[in-house]
Amino acid sequence: MPIQRRLLQALAAVTLGCLTGAAQAHFQMLYVEETALPRSGKLEFALVFTHPFSGGPTMAMDEPRAFSHISSHGGEKIDLRQYLRRVQWQSRDNQTTAYRASIPRELVRSLGDHIFVLEPEPYLETEEGVYIQQFTKLIVNVGGVPGNWAEPQGLPVEIQPLNKPYANWTGGVFRALVLADGKPVPFAEIEIEYVNHSVDIEKNSFGQQDYVTAPQASFKALSTYADSSGIVTIGLPRAGWWGIAALDIGTTKIHKGKPLSQDAVLWVQARDMK
Amino acid sequence: MAGALLLCQTAFAHGPVFDCYIESDDLVKCEAGYTDGSSAAGRKIHVQDTSNKVLLEGSVGTDNTYAFQPPAEKYSVVFMGGDNHEATIQSSDISR
Repeated sequence: MPIQRRLLQALAAVTLGCLTGAAQAHFQMLYVEETALPRSGKLEFALVFTHPFSGGPTMAMDEPRAFSHISSHGGEKIDLRQYLRRVQWQSRDNQTTAYRASIPRELVRSLGDHIFVLEPEPYLETEEGVYIQQFTKLIVNVGGVPGNWAEPQGLPVEIQPLNKPYANWTGGVFRALVLADGKPVPFAEIEIEYVNHSVDIEKNSFGQQDYVTAPQASFKALSTYADSSGIVTIGLPRAGWWGIAALDIGTTKIHKGKPLSQDAVLWVQARDMK
Repeated sequence: MAGALLLCQTAFAHGPVFDCYIESDDLVKCEAGYTDGSSAAGRKIHVQDTSNKVLLEGSVGTDNTYAFQPPAEKYSVVFMGGDNHEATIQSSDISR
């Protein structure tokens, strides 16, 4: 099939998605303060479903279906749901239910990569009558020993990093492969958002000050498409957190009688060269 | 705390990484590796007193770990990672 035709089909599908109300600019945050750790320590997580560039509004989360840690040794998968606790998260516009998790050092003290995977309960975007479920990955590294950061985790939808998500300089380029049921998704619709404010994890809140001002609304959630191989490439123009979301790529399209958008999210942290 | 690790992460493209933690009341476990992911198996580990006298000597296992019963007094653990690839952790930096 000619590439132009496939791209047109992808664009048509996106347009249809918009017509049927696929919600955009929502990001499932899976946040820790630092992903490249010189040495291991207790990890404090915040799980917040929000609009990260604007710092809100934030959507109420139900109890996650799964929250897992894939260890650096042997890929052992550990269920972390016992560490989840419900909190009220203060975003820019509202306060609503999110989750925190305090992961003890004993679970993450090994050198190497620690992969964290969140499978939230689908969220009903009532205004548009669609469910959104964002399978979200975050990768923490201890000590600089590389590990299993590039390995897919067998999720229904997922973004497989092609660069270490925890080791990126500001101004660099980040590449990843978009997967659904383990297969690349050509021309997947991608959104990218920058966390444009501080995150006060102890106070369960976002900071009130924007780091940068968007000159126009379309700068808040950047849009692109994966290429014909399902590879997405983004720039990292500023230090901090960048979220990549591949939208509506799952094969499960209906949840409780309504359209379901199964999205894949990966978080990338960039650091200034100084 | 991270001093030992920072020291061993100087300008090597293939640098040693080493950390230890208290696995249980009478067991300290150390992990050794390199920033390029290569194995540290077979490399020597020394447990030394404050005058650098070697109290224990062992080798990194195939799982890149080495475990030992810690001395009662202050000590250090040295990973002999190869040419200029030595890393040391003080007992005061070893916790659960």
